[in-house]
Amino acid sequence: MSRNDSKYFSTTKKGEIPELKEELNSQYKDKRKDAVKKVIAAMTVGKDVSSLFTDVVNCMQTENLELKKLVYLYLINYAKSQPDLAILAVNTFVKDSQDPNPLIRALAVRTMGCIRVDKITEYLCDPLQRCLKDDDPYVRKTAAICVAKLYDINAELVEDRGFLESLKDLISDNNPMVVANAVAALAEIQDNSSRPIFEITSHTLSKLLTALNECTEWGQVFILDALSRYKAADAREAENIVERVTPRLQHANCAVVLSAVKMILQQMELITSTDVVRNLCKKMAPPLVTLLSAEPEIQYVALRNINLIVQRRPTILAHEIKVFFCKYNDPIYVKMEKLEIMIKLASDRNIDQVLLEFKEYATEVDVDFVRKAVRAIGRCAIKLERAAERCISVLLELIKIKVNYVVQEAIIVIKDIFRRYPNTYESIIATLCESLDTLDEPEAKASMIWIIGEYAERIDNADELLESFLESFPEEPALVQLQLLTATVKLFLKKPTEGPQQMIQVVLNNATMETDNPDLRDRAYIYWRLLSTDPEAAKDVVLAEKPVITDDSNNLDPSLLDELLVNIATLSSVYHKPPEAFVTRTHSSAQKTEDDDYPDGSESESSVNLANGPGSPPTSSYTIPPSVAPATPPSAAAPVPDLLGDLMGMDNSSIVPVDQPATPSGPPLPILLPASTGQGLQISAQLTRRDGQVFYNMLFENNSQVPLDGFMIQFNKNTFGLAAAGPLQIPQLQPGASARTLLPMVMYQNMSQGPANSVLQVALKNNQQPVWYFNDKILFHVFFTEDGRMERATFLETWRSLPDSNEVSKDFPAIVIGGVDATVERLATSNIFFIAKRKNANQDVFYFSAKLPRGVPLLIELTTVVGNPGVKSAIKTPSPEMSTFIFEAIETLLRS
Amino acid sequence: MISQFFVLSQRGDNIVFRDYRGEVQKGSAETFFRRVKFWKEDADGDAPPVFNVDGVNYFHVKVAGLLFVATTRVNVSPSVVLELLQRTARVIKDYLGVLNEDSFRKNFVLVYELLDEMIDFGYVQTTSTEVLKSYVFNEPIVIETAHMPVGPASIFMHGGKRMPGTAITKSVVANEPGGKKRDEIFVDVIEKISVTFNSSGYILTSEIDGTIQMKSYLTGNPEIRLALNEDLSIGTSDYRGSGAVILDDCNFHESVHLDSFDVDRTLSLVPPDGEFPVMNYRITQAFKPPFRINTLIEETGPLKAEVTIKVRAEFNSSINANTVLVQMPLPTFTARVNFELEPGAVGHNTDFKEANKRLEWGIKKVVGGSEHTLRAKLTFSQELHGNIMKEAGPLSMTFTIPMYNSSRLQVKYLQIAKKSKSHNPYRWVRYVTQANSYVARL
Repeated sequence: MSRNDSKYFSTTKKGEIPELKEELNSQYKDKRKDAVKKVIAAMTVGKDVSSLFTDVVNCMQTENLELKKLVYLYLINYAKSQPDLAILAVNTFVKDSQDPNPLIRALAVRTMGCIRVDKITEYLCDPLQRCLKDDDPYVRKTAAICVAKLYDINAELVEDRGFLESLKDLISDNNPMVVANAVAALAEIQDNSSRPIFEITSHTLSKLLTALNECTEWGQVFILDALSRYKAADAREAENIVERVTPRLQHANCAVVLSAVKMILQQMELITSTDVVRNLCKKMAPPLVTLLSAEPEIQYVALRNINLIVQRRPTILAHEIKVFFCKYNDPIYVKMEKLEIMIKLASDRNIDQVLLEFKEYATEVDVDFVRKAVRAIGRCAIKLERAAERCISVLLELIKIKVNYVVQEAIIVIKDIFRRYPNTYESIIATLCESLDTLDEPEAKASMIWIIGEYAERIDNADELLESFLESFPEEPALVQLQLLTATVKLFLKKPTEGPQQMIQVVLNNATMETDNPDLRDRAYIYWRLLSTDPEAAKDVVLAEKPVITDDSNNLDPSLLDELLVNIATLSSVYHKPPEAFVTRTHSSAQKTEDDDYPDGSESESSVNLANGPGSPPTSSYTIPPSVAPATPPSAAAPVPDLLGDLMGMDNSSIVPVDQPATPSGPPLPILLPASTGQGLQISAQLTRRDGQVFYNMLFENNSQVPLDGFMIQFNKNTFGLAAAGPLQIPQLQPGASARTLLPMVMYQNMSQGPANSVLQVALKNNQQPVWYFNDKILFHVFFTEDGRMERATFLETWRSLPDSNEVSKDFPAIVIGGVDATVERLATSNIFFIAKRKNANQDVFYFSAKLPRGVPLLIELTTVVGNPGVKSAIKTPSPEMSTFIFEAIETLLRS
Repeated sequence: MISQFFVLSQRGDNIVFRDYRGEVQKGSAETFFRRVKFWKEDADGDAPPVFNVDGVNYFHVKVAGLLFVATTRVNVSPSVVLELLQRTARVIKDYLGVLNEDSFRKNFVLVYELLDEMIDFGYVQTTSTEVLKSYVFNEPIVIETAHMPVGPASIFMHGGKRMPGTAITKSVVANEPGGKKRDEIFVDVIEKISVTFNSSGYILTSEIDGTIQMKSYLTGNPEIRLALNEDLSIGTSDYRGSGAVILDDCNFHESVHLDSFDVDRTLSLVPPDGEFPVMNYRITQAFKPPFRINTLIEETGPLKAEVTIKVRAEFNSSINANTVLVQMPLPTFTARVNFELEPGAVGHNTDFKEANKRLEWGIKKVVGGSEHTLRAKLTFSQELHGNIMKEAGPLSMTFTIPMYNSSRLQVKYLQIAKKSKSHNPYRWVRYVTQANSYVARL
């Protein structure tokens, strides 16, 4: 017999399950074992082999550990779906938990703990009780973890049966593995309980510190992490603890080292002797640096932690800046973090060396890295006054290479340098102006414009320079518009000649009339008011001295830093966010709504440009002393109507009176009854799907001379049986008013006979006018239900199970799929879910799943060359008669 | 504590999937893969090893082209998880001999058994191959391998013929086809060196990351004594003259006893089965770089330039460097490159990688003491903005030099406590130096 597991994956003839069943009941041991392996193989590729439950469980009673483990693996997987059958296994479990072989005893409790079925849990308690006191340490350490499992299923049971006490006893166990697992279990239970369960006294502390020396590496981490919650009574105790922990810094396992660092840092807070602290810093430095010799993944974690540590204790690595120089083969995420730390460690002593490095990085290939390097030079200039000049000369050198993104980045940081050292380096403005026309990024443009405005009196042709931007004013992003507005006002105040006067007219007009950005409009109005009432006051306001910015390289808020330092060596220290910001563990597996992700966990460098007040430039990431920072204005007011619509739609009153000309949000609804035909009543409507329900999204506009009321709606019989689920609720519409509603719809209510079509005939009446009839087209994609996502295996199985006659295909020669991600996302919002993608020659083939009402599956295959016209669509569904509509829907979605 | 563990192939197929806590939804592997695959819009940006999507934290490491992934919802220690992933890969490799999709699929039952013993309810139990042997019952099915093995020791495969290469792909637990296990032990001193030269050839930074790696196939787990240079010192405080090897820092595997280390620099240990690092060390003390690089760029016309690269091997002529590769980014507007090698050059190949505008010069074998020169004539499609030196370089080099170590750290002897007179296991002590980041700026 060949010992080759992959043969278990090969599918045999039709009757796979019956065949397996027969083999499972074979009288030969080997045959049974092989059969169970085949079952497990099927299970891992997602096949449903739950029907073999009883047959597999029958194989459980064996002395063969290999076979027993396989059966247990199966049980863990299927017990949840077959709770009644799982009970069959209980007797064997209980028997196994008393087996003379300790491995079998341990296996039994371990597995029982993983089966989250109430009926089984009841039977778990007695064996668990026995195993916690077992003679064999392997059994005890398994039982310790099992208590945590049980607590997760039924906390009360654990407390009632006194398992917590047994667990605490295990802290004094003579086997370090058992101690470590008991600590891990208690720590988890404590995390999920509001009352004190696992309190570390000085007694447990000393016991655990002793166990530390004998534990395996992982046990050491469990213990160190649990002990890090301990608050030493005084400096002496803290010193003692540190002394016991310091040898762990020599461990080859990076996790042990970091957990030890965490513990030492925490105790250091209590130590008063500066000598001791200095000495500890000296001891921690080499192991911290050694972490950077590990795999890049570990390096990343180490760097994120070091970033925090040097903010609190800058001296630790003050002399080690060289180790943070980037290696050419470092992954980009490591390089970025090293750069950040280099800025933090830069000092007057090493700045020359550091600048040399930055200059080198600024000519590398990766654009993001280059930008960050350029910015780093600026940050050093702001941080180190004595080095500012050298930094600027490096920046000027880089500008001369004329690589576009380098120039733009340099201008952004130079603007900040000007703000840090006003009236010092303006001689370089001429050089900057040379690059003016190559700027195409908003932030760089805005920075340059700010510089021109701020130093308008020293730039001879400031008016010409600004004027060149004005032509494109309406198209510029808000950031640039705001700066243009302010710079023009500054120019005018400084040089109130004819040219600037005309410019200011143009800008103010543009910014007040032609824009819907309230920030821009409001700022423009304020300037206008100021200029027209009291130009001198305007000068005082606009040309006032600006606060000097400070360096942000230690920019974590001190209280946040404190919290993060407590969380060194946890995820929190990698994301630089407090745990509650990302931990969403839920016992009831309720879905969380948080949508954030923390790509590289970097402190957000986004700027609140709009809030910085009229005179200030868009500071990239610098802090303004709070006393002068104006309050943040409330942010934009765009999609209010839509939001209301959603809210109202949800509580089913489904009406939203809109008392001013509606600002349509999202794509406007198609007009179905134009005002010209409707005697002044205009109706726009479209079917839409929200929160799993189909709605008729309608907009009524009364352009007639009379108030309209008493609206009612009726749908003619149609292919899909669409009908209103409730009465139409539209209040009296005054002339000139409009109203929006989301009318809930139901399906299969008034089905039409005859050939299928997508026409929806609507009749609408009110008390003042005749009945209006209009036709709408049913958008089929509103019927795709939210639960259409399929497991890949299910998809394959479904595809195979459907006969080929159910496959229909269609070509869309004109459609281009540009961005794959965007397309996938767009389809997902219409409940067409991405399954997989593969390459076929030069074509990409995408697979999607969706579900039609009544649970009818729909499988979609799209074949295309990304970026080129022509998409072939093939679908497979039990309802191929719907294909015309399905293709229509696919086409609409791909086109939009 | 982790919630799920899985291994994905390069294409994103699930090879192994184990859910320990049922807290994270089943589709996590797909979510993960899509995130990693499309981390950066413009292709090749590596995703960081830790990230969060919808409240689920994903950790991953790449080993032998496979993605080892763990998920969790809680604020765990990321270094624990990443170490665990690395170790899991190592244990599975110890068992299977080779890590690849095929070996996984052939041994999936064994892999699941291993995973169940290594991790319980998301908590690491053990990652020691030695300990696992007493709990794991499935026997590995060793696959025939034409593939290259992974890990630092793989360099011996294409090293010299004198290396008993097959041992490296051998499973630690599987019995040899002949029945009896071959009694042998490998100790590899592997040094990865990083050097940055400035434009005038002066060394800006240099560093050695060293590992003493052990892989033991000894029966009966005898105790081993490993003696290092007696003049070895740790930390720069007790500097003992110019000849000494000074380590900035070092750490040891937990099986190592350091009782006599301070006295005579010997380590004693009972090596567990499997491959493991006995000691890691780091050196920033100056050392003689194995290669000197000389680069000259001259503009020879408005649209032309000539690059001359000289590489000199500064080690003993009895030693050869293998798989030497010199790379240098060229200015963006480089359209064509003509290469000129010295007459009679063998085993050289030169290439201009159009896509990323890179010059590549590979040399199969460089004999100690020799010097090689490459001349490359560049033609540009546009005039440069002036400084060609700023748009080209830096030059980087990768190489492997077997039986050479930069630090002079040595294993003076390797003693195996003998159980019987007839018992004389094979002992292999091997040295190798590899380039990590070996860069010459222009």
